Amino acid sequence: MTTLLQQIANGIALGATIGLIALGYTMVYGIIQLINFAHGEVFMVGAFGGLATYRWLLPEGIRGDWYLSLPLMLLGGVVVAVTVALLMERFAYRPLRNAPRLAPLITALGVSIVLQEAIRLWFPDADAAQPFPKAFLDAQIKIGPISLRATQLLLIAVSIVLSVLLQTYVNRSKMGRAMRATAQDPDTARLMGINPNRVIVLTFAIGAALAGVAGVLYGIDITNVDNAIGFQNGIFAFTAAVLGGIGSLRGAVIGAFVIGLIKTLGGQYMPGGTQYDYVWIFVVLILVLVFRPQGLFGEAERVRA
Amino acid sequence: MNMVSSVQTAKKLSGSLVPSPAAAKPLAVVGGVLAIVAALLPWVTFRFNDGPYPELATLQFFDAPLQVTGFRLHLLLFGVAAVAVALVPKVPGRGRVLRALGWGVFAVSLVTTVFIVGLGGGLGAATAADGASAFGGIVGVLAGLLLVLSAAATGVGEVPRWSTDVPKPVAWLALLLAFACVLYLVSLTLTAGGLGGASNPYAGPVFLAFLGMAGGLLGALNGVGLVKWISVLSERHRGFSIVVLLLCALALPLTEAGTDYWMTVATTIGVYAATAIGLNVVVGLAGLLDLGYVAFMGVGAFVGANLSGAAAAKLGITLPFPVAALVAAVIAGIIGAIVGSPTLRVRGDYLAIVTLAFGEIFTRSAQNDIGGLTGGPNAIPGIPAVSIGGTAFNQPLEVGGLELPGGVLYYFMIVLVVGAVMAIFANLKNSRIGRAWIAIREDEDAARAMGIKTGRAKILAFLTGATLAGLAGAIFAHKLGTASYDSFKFLESVTLLAAVILGGMGTIPGAVLGAALLFVLPEKLREFSDYRLLIFGLALVFIMRFRPQGLVPDRVRRAELAGETAEGKSIQQVEEALVAEQESVDHAPERDAKGDRS
Repeated sequence: MTTLLQQIANGIALGATIGLIALGYTMVYGIIQLINFAHGEVFMVGAFGGLATYRWLLPEGIRGDWYLSLPLMLLGGVVVAVTVALLMERFAYRPLRNAPRLAPLITALGVSIVLQEAIRLWFPDADAAQPFPKAFLDAQIKIGPISLRATQLLLIAVSIVLSVLLQTYVNRSKMGRAMRATAQDPDTARLMGINPNRVIVLTFAIGAALAGVAGVLYGIDITNVDNAIGFQNGIFAFTAAVLGGIGSLRGAVIGAFVIGLIKTLGGQYMPGGTQYDYVWIFVVLILVLVFRPQGLFGEAERVRA
Repeated sequence: MNMVSSVQTAKKLSGSLVPSPAAAKPLAVVGGVLAIVAALLPWVTFRFNDGPYPELATLQFFDAPLQVTGFRLHLLLFGVAAVAVALVPKVPGRGRVLRALGWGVFAVSLVTTVFIVGLGGGLGAATAADGASAFGGIVGVLAGLLLVLSAAATGVGEVPRWSTDVPKPVAWLALLLAFACVLYLVSLTLTAGGLGGASNPYAGPVFLAFLGMAGGLLGALNGVGLVKWISVLSERHRGFSIVVLLLCALALPLTEAGTDYWMTVATTIGVYAATAIGLNVVVGLAGLLDLGYVAFMGVGAFVGANLSGAAAAKLGITLPFPVAALVAAVIAGIIGAIVGSPTLRVRGDYLAIVTLAFGEIFTRSAQNDIGGLTGGPNAIPGIPAVSIGGTAFNQPLEVGGLELPGGVLYYFMIVLVVGAVMAIFANLKNSRIGRAWIAIREDEDAARAMGIKTGRAKILAFLTGATLAGLAGAIFAHKLGTASYDSFKFLESVTLLAAVILGGMGTIPGAVLGAALLFVLPEKLREFSDYRLLIFGLALVFIMRFRPQGLVPDRVRRAELAGETAEGKSIQQVEEALVAEQESVDHAPERDAKGDRS
């Protein structure tokens, strides 16, 4: 029983990370129907941005004080992630906006490889996993029978707060309404005076900012990062977005928690153990796509292909 | 230069780079002469022969003037050709020829200069240092640009058409010569620069410069209309062409490329070419993006390995190779049909993700030695070489005094397999099912409305592609002697996809060319092996941006993807030309291929 509860807690912590990434996938897909395959790499780049901030920008004096260094690292990670995302939107995706559907997907694949390789080649020593600074309380917190790292609790809290904020922003603000309008019908939205390019850029930026935050927090939690974390977590996040119903913000977050639970519980209880935990996620992905492609919360007509 | 520079400046100011037609001839002559001069100038200021690597390196005598070998010879010939084309009246397709020659000169010079500067010690090496000056590279680049400019001034027209009503013996002789030249070019390309590696750091630049030359040459031949002529002739005498082409491919071991090493490389290329053709059925014809395709090759490899009697294989079944390969292909095909079954419900990018998921499941399972069938991280080593009548395929061969290198039999086998696969593909493409696939690619709903059973057709596409991959995988495992999950990861799928896209989706020569390029380049550019994937990624992005139709574009695809052809003709023009061409082919007096179109 303790194991079960503990694994559920771990799953929720993993789900929190995945959820932050999945929001970016689902928003971009909702607006321009692009599977931004490189979004996972934005998460990875964000983590390295935070690491770089800590290594080269933070003065020695404040490195020990997490309440100073953590916000600065988050800021660094977000800035890097957003910059990369905007560059790729401008130079890789925008020219292909009216191209056949396969073209942007293949481009996204290429961008993903480029980002992974760029980090491996040009981030100092990044050809091996890099230790990530412990920029938060280094403690285990006991809640009844289960114990979680303080960093895992931080991830869960940040993830929930940010998704609620995002949901509110999209539902209440003027720009949020513009986003929803563009997602529903870009042409009509344009007639209503909405600049679709601005909406798209903003969407990419918000998604990247969330991924950047996730990257830094993930690094702090796992305590080391390499250039492969983006691909794996990106696929998990994509699965979560599909599971929740791609285009739906609420769905992405809930899907992410489900995926987190599948991974930890599958690793614990399914045959093959943790070696195959990855496989169960893909099995779920295939089953969802085949039997309910609109996902748990998606609307059927949203699924265009 | 001087006399046109003012005109040019004015033009530049008005926002256009194209000089006036009157400047075309002088520009071309100056460009050609400069190319000749560049060939004769020294290219570096000092010898690179003292000290350790990379100083200890020579690029075909590139510090000595008046040495005309290697890239210098190419520059010299291109320069002479450019001057001749500029001065001789009534050259067909002058603009195109000049443009091709210009880019060729530019590529050769740029590659060489960049490598001299990059590997050889800074800009000084290619300009002036140590009391010596060497401006060969800079002059060469300039010459190339001038030729391209002159081509722009001449104007690039239609590819000239040559009369294809020639008597049979002439046509056969032309085809024979053309294919022999292709064989020679292939063998030169393979061996250009020699083996890459620490002992030969300049393999990369020599090879790339050679590719630049080959590209320029083919472009120029295409410009005068020769390539078109040959391709129309070969279409007309199809049976003869196929036989000659096959013989040429089989004759490769007799050329300079006839060593163990190049046989291995060529065999590997063949394996991936066969796989790429299979992927081309799925992606290029049916338009179903498959991101886990290499898994089928993996299935074929592991099935083949398990049935081969390797000591590490758990099953302990030993089958002769052809049977094992057949079983591998069938099992891969069945799995392909299973993986393809979601296509009945899922479309577009969703399908891409489903196939990616299947691919990852395969890799993960193989890595964990599922059911003891894959050896996990230890792989399945010690797969015995294929042998027929006591002759192992990896041994050298002696046939009546003719010594053939080791692995030549594998090469022969893969040539025959690729040939068969190409024939099957060509016929499939024009068959009922092939047309159904293309219709699905263009518009699935319309295809269904036209009475095509789309579900069956899509699964059949997956089945065909997977079967080919499985067969290639079995050959691959036997050739390599080992089957490891490491060879069948996601990145290999991306590489194969890149090969298909680079070559041109939906075309046979495209898939083969793409596979050849993507698997020869890393072999040649060991120097840059670290950057291999980065370059792949960039290539995917740039191809999609600037040439989505690939190197050898499919006719339909070309119009669809680019909106216009690479030459800037509108779709309508192209269609008119195609109709005219089709008529000329259809009205040909003799046509061997009538039976091929069902």
